[in-house]
Amino acid sequence: MTQSNWDLALSALGPILMGAIQGTIPLALVSFALGLVLALVLALMRLSRQRWLSAIARVFISIVRGTPLLVQLFVIFYGLPSLGLLIDPWPSAVIAFSINVGGYAAEVIRAAILSVPQGQWEAAWMVGMSRRKALTRIILPQAARVSVPPLSNTFISLVKDTSLASLILVTELFRQAQKVAAFSQEFMLLYLEAALVYWVICLVLSTVQGRLEKRLDRYVAH
Amino acid sequence: MKLTFRSALVAGAIVTLAALSLTACAAGGTAGSTSGATTADDSLTKVQQAGTLTVGTEGTYRPFSFHENGAGDITGYDVDVVKAVAAKLGVTATFQETQWDGIFAGLEAGRFDAIANQVSITPERTAKYTFSTPYTYSTGVIVVKSDNTSITSFESLSGKTTAQSLTSNWNTLATQSGANVQAVEGWAQSVALVEQGRVDATINDNLTFLDYKKNNDASGLKVAATTTDKSKSALAFAGGSTALATAVDTALADLAADGTLTSISEKYFGADVSK
Repeated sequence: MTQSNWDLALSALGPILMGAIQGTIPLALVSFALGLVLALVLALMRLSRQRWLSAIARVFISIVRGTPLLVQLFVIFYGLPSLGLLIDPWPSAVIAFSINVGGYAAEVIRAAILSVPQGQWEAAWMVGMSRRKALTRIILPQAARVSVPPLSNTFISLVKDTSLASLILVTELFRQAQKVAAFSQEFMLLYLEAALVYWVICLVLSTVQGRLEKRLDRYVAH
Repeated sequence: MKLTFRSALVAGAIVTLAALSLTACAAGGTAGSTSGATTADDSLTKVQQAGTLTVGTEGTYRPFSFHENGAGDITGYDVDVVKAVAAKLGVTATFQETQWDGIFAGLEAGRFDAIANQVSITPERTAKYTFSTPYTYSTGVIVVKSDNTSITSFESLSGKTTAQSLTSNWNTLATQSGANVQAVEGWAQSVALVEQGRVDATINDNLTFLDYKKNNDASGLKVAATTTDKSKSALAFAGGSTALATAVDTALADLAADGTLTSISEKYFGADVSK
């Protein structure tokens, strides 16, 4: 690698990491947290014995999973202003990503809840727990353990999907790389550097996943 | 667990570094061929053998490269010029529609032989790419909301926000004027952001704005200032594609002489912008 390319890669690392710290990471964390709350609500709606609640959740999930994230972002950012709703870039991105995570994670959580053996419910009822108490004290902790690997997948996907926010004026990791690339015309170098930083972030997340799995193992009936 | 993670990290880092240095070498290679000596220039023979001139263009940049009513075949001033040039070379033109910000990367990667998308000739680009002779002369304009009184010149862009494609020369101009640039994909998004009041201004080709006014209700927009220099747009080739560029120059000269360029220009602008 030539000296000037090293220098360029090194000098670009600062802006790229800033993009990760100011854009990518907070965007992913906030959207994932909000998305999980939405997902839990949707999953419980889907499992509800109220037909209409279940139907609403089903339609919502279907729309989210059946449309591209980029289209969702553009509808919220470029489309809604024509209805008089002008949302800033950051909140637009958070809304789109949370909704997206909500749609996907809802199915993960629903499956995880269903994966807890029926016997666990029955045992909880036998000792006099209400349905709500059985859910929060017995079922959800076990479902949490089951859902860690697939939810980690969702989160890792989200980290990479935040690069789409660069298309709606959010300054994040990939946008910073593109800025340096546009200035230096060294596309391959900068795109690879961005890829490397995403990869390192996701490697860290994978180890966190491993630790979380171990920690949550204690909730599972063996 | 810890050990495997660490060794995976080290292995990955080594692989990535190797990839990075490889690309750097490859980049050095093209830079070498730009300066001329080592590799033979087969840019023209490649096009002739393939029988097609593959051209990168946006396909969303009215009136230069677009689809009428959003559908149908690609058309526009640049598209017509390229078709005429290709005919002179005895080949057919095929168009690869690419977002502007990826267009130079595409050229470098060899995805197309040329870019036809009002590429302005700038010193930075000349250092890296080969250009044909210009086929458009035009001015840049600052487009703002009609009630904007704070932007009256390029100097007054200082501290204001503009929307530009990152790799465009208008981005360079905006940055040099001290504007805070918001990166977008093209003219359509830029003008939407100005209209929505999300940015103060956008700089683009005067011809683009005139065409936009013709086809849209642009009563909320106005031109705040115009560049004094004319920008020259040409076809851009990968660095060192001298043989292809020379052949295209001959074709452009012929097309200028026989009036084809003038008539294409009249068709889109009602004026001759090719001189």
